Amino acid sequence: MKEIVELSEKTLTIDRNQFLKVKGSIDTNVYYVESGSLRAFVLDDFEEQTIRFGYKENILVALDSFLTGKASDLYIQAIKKTVVKVITKQQIDDFLQSETNRILWTSILENLVLQQMEREIDILTTSPKERYRRVLARSPQLFQEVPNRHIANYLRMSPETLSRLKKS
Amino acid sequence: MQSEKMIQSLVEHTRQFINRAEELKNYELSTLTWKENATSWSILECLEHLNLYGDFYLREIETKIKQSKTQHEAIIKSGFLGAYFAKSMLPKEKLNKMKTFKDKNPLNAQLDKGVIDKFIRQQIQLLNLLDLSKKVSLNKVKIQTSISSLIRLKLGDTFLFFVNHIVRHLQQIDRIEAAMKKV
Repeated sequence: MKEIVELSEKTLTIDRNQFLKVKGSIDTNVYYVESGSLRAFVLDDFEEQTIRFGYKENILVALDSFLTGKASDLYIQAIKKTVVKVITKQQIDDFLQSETNRILWTSILENLVLQQMEREIDILTTSPKERYRRVLARSPQLFQEVPNRHIANYLRMSPETLSRLKKS
Repeated sequence: MQSEKMIQSLVEHTRQFINRAEELKNYELSTLTWKENATSWSILECLEHLNLYGDFYLREIETKIKQSKTQHEAIIKSGFLGAYFAKSMLPKEKLNKMKTFKDKNPLNAQLDKGVIDKFIRQQIQLLNLLDLSKKVSLNKVKIQTSISSLIRLKLGDTFLFFVNHIVRHLQQIDRIEAAMKKV
């Protein structure tokens, strides 16, 4: 991961609630979070569904746009003041010219597939308590970095249910 | 001009509009309602003026896109009137003052921070409409203007005009801030 982050030549600072990406934009950048936190969500008819978070030392990317080069529906918004390093698709493509780097990149992508699968199981898990338990076990740090209401949305439950589960 | 390029540019403008509005939301109400003199606008009045236009155009654009049976076209061509309107909105170096229609003038209305929330909601709506517009012709769909139902612009020109109008008044907000610092 360090090798990828080192490719960056640009740092961006965005304030709380400001957007890195909005619906309909083509954004092929990879973002490395230096400080702060972000959420990726979709929004239809004014109902938000958080898909992913990024906080200190995470990578966040609009993966659909990154892979296809096309517009994507994702919004990426800062939850608090956030500093990100920007790695462009071009920088990644240049990096992937070497065989060793391609092996490294493949392992990063494999890891991502596993994460996506965990997330898929989360969403398909019926019990709210079990959904909460899975995410807590996997990402205890998340509960330090991100306000409850966003985590509740991510877990597809009300903030009240989440705070009840946290106490029990 | 390529439709996709234009839409991308408008989407990026809209992202910046939202970010600017989020920044303004942190200001004190006394800053947001400050005005240089009795007839000039405050920051909130500028935004409310944009909201009044948004109420009209976003609804009109949405209706016309949803009714349309046209196909997407890769190339967009400006109409004579559309090009003129869109261009006239952009501030020149030496400011070209424009007259505001009475029903779009928010001068001395009672305004609060809800105006900023409404402005942001309209930008989200604009993003949705830009997205929907990818399925129709930006040339063949026609939008009624707020000036007269007889004057109609191409959808593509309307988007350009609408976004340029926001650029214009966000620059006015920059000037209000600058004037405030001098006091």
